[in-house]
Amino acid sequence: MIRLEKRIEVNNAWIALMYLSACIIGFLLTALLLWLSGTDISKAFYALYKGSMSSQKTIFSSLSKATPLILTGLATVVAFRAKVWSIGQEGQVYSGAMSAYMASLMFFGLPVWIYLTLIIGFGALGGAFLGALSAVLKNRFNVNEIISTVMLNYIMIFFLSYMVGGGPWTGVGDVALTYSQSNPIDDTAKLPFLFDSRKLHLGFVLAIVCALACHILINLTPFGYEIRAMGHNSIALKYRGTNTKKTLLYLMVFSGAIAGLAGVSEIFGTNHSLKGDTLVGLGFTGIIVGMIGGLTPIGTVIAGVVFGGLASGSVYMKIIAKVPGTLVPTMEGLFLLTFLIAGVASHYKIVRLKKDV
Amino acid sequence: MSELFQEAVIISILAGTFRVMTPILFAAIGELVTQRAGIWNMGVEGTMIMGAFTSYIVAVETGSQHLAILSGILSGMVMGLITAFMIATMRVDHFITGLGLNLLVGGLSLFWFRLYVGGGYAPTFDSLDNFAIPILNTIPILGDIFFNQKLLTYVAFLSVPIVWYFLYRTRWGLELRCLGENPKALDIKGLNVVLRQYVAILIGSSFTGLGGAFLMLAFSDRFQPDLTAGKGWLAIVAIIAGKWLPKGVFIAVLVFAFLGSVAVHVQILDVNIPYQIFLALPYLASIILLICMRKKINQPAKLGVPYFR
Repeated sequence: MIRLEKRIEVNNAWIALMYLSACIIGFLLTALLLWLSGTDISKAFYALYKGSMSSQKTIFSSLSKATPLILTGLATVVAFRAKVWSIGQEGQVYSGAMSAYMASLMFFGLPVWIYLTLIIGFGALGGAFLGALSAVLKNRFNVNEIISTVMLNYIMIFFLSYMVGGGPWTGVGDVALTYSQSNPIDDTAKLPFLFDSRKLHLGFVLAIVCALACHILINLTPFGYEIRAMGHNSIALKYRGTNTKKTLLYLMVFSGAIAGLAGVSEIFGTNHSLKGDTLVGLGFTGIIVGMIGGLTPIGTVIAGVVFGGLASGSVYMKIIAKVPGTLVPTMEGLFLLTFLIAGVASHYKIVRLKKDV
Repeated sequence: MSELFQEAVIISILAGTFRVMTPILFAAIGELVTQRAGIWNMGVEGTMIMGAFTSYIVAVETGSQHLAILSGILSGMVMGLITAFMIATMRVDHFITGLGLNLLVGGLSLFWFRLYVGGGYAPTFDSLDNFAIPILNTIPILGDIFFNQKLLTYVAFLSVPIVWYFLYRTRWGLELRCLGENPKALDIKGLNVVLRQYVAILIGSSFTGLGGAFLMLAFSDRFQPDLTAGKGWLAIVAIIAGKWLPKGVFIAVLVFAFLGSVAVHVQILDVNIPYQIFLALPYLASIILLICMRKKINQPAKLGVPYFR
């Protein structure tokens, strides 16, 4: 007889083994899916490699795709560590992008660095506002944060759809009208590129800075302690005398602000005009990135870079192996499930029971 | 705006309300059973997409609407099995499981859809026909609103009293409700907790799969990405707003569906207000509903809490 038994001590080798198996099973499942769809598996994976890390250009492209994912992943980490299941990153990305775009119109003509700072700041504020809204709904009216964030996501998506698809920000010309996008932003509003790469931009630096800030905040500050304590035992935290409502509000503001930056990075660093289509799914993918990153900032950066590589590679995969680009979200979902199971399994050990004890 | 208040339009909006209501009602009434058993299945949206997508493929391939509906239910049950394995057997957090499955299905259905369609146009199928109830459908106005709907719409309405009866008048219903309040009591009595969790999840997800199939077969003739557009989430909101009671859930779904139906008609009628405002209405309404329902009277005590012996 074999039985699962909960581990009391932490065994790092076992944990590593579990997560390694999760990776392998994730890839095997992907291969199975490709096989079922009649694609050449080796060709598909080769294309994935080719498009993500075969040259300097593709590496920059991967990192540029990773930038918003790292940010939304970090937003997830901050909330989920406190067991606050906010899935409002998607909407916060939208509101961040929109308020940054508003700032770019309002402050046009200011010196470049002040102008950029204001745009980035407004982006963070936009995301933070939406996060705060969910926190207030929870604190004042006891509205479940999952529900309120999902509903706000949809509301923000429709809001942006109106603003650039018939509303005041709709771009001039047929192209802008068909694709529901704004006028291109001014050159001074674009986030500067790093290393002359034409791909990687200031947003990546922001993402790394945010990751470090999150790492310090969660692990080394009293507020981070409250976040972690809230996740472990919010009742005990309350009896300690902490105002948990305040903690919730602050952490949602912080999480929202980071997600808002993802919107800024995508619009002002990569796409250069406000458009809903480019923002779709950044928040949801960020949840997977944060989860697979083990809800740690460092892990999130690693997972974000891997997922950025997948996103960048999927373009090649579409061309070389004729695999639909939607394979990538599927892979992400598969990996999430295998990692979730690995996360649980790493707390157990297999015990052989002797007969009639 | 005045276009909205003509008799024909009002009848159409009300008839549309019951049509829009059907898939959400299926999902909500099924998930009510799951939630009363203490399991917070957040994967309703994903299960619905899966049901819709499977029934699309089967409808196109076989041309049989019955098989398509059946496959929708079956794919819902497959999703339910995965959910139950994660929640009841592995005891992964309920919220995380549901979210993960939603994300997975969002990707998976799109991937298969693109593969299926290839470079061409999506193949179409014949939508469900209306099933007019004889005699009753000749009543002026009311006949058009109530008695000229799809057959499954009547089934959805019937399922509300059936689920009520199951939950409150049968032994299994009692045990499932007990599971949501005090699973330990069942365990001590020697009743299998995990088995009952599986059953509760499967009931919910098969209803949700059916809702997805209806959404696919009744409203359009081909699959499109983001077909469900949050209807699964609205089902969850309806359960909370309906205070975990079949009657309350029914009323909440009715409100959402009415707003949804108004939104559809506003788009068609070209009213001089941005249609996005109306599209956002059900979601706004759900937040307002939840604000009004701040006291969660009947929420099962152990809802969303993994059970460890």
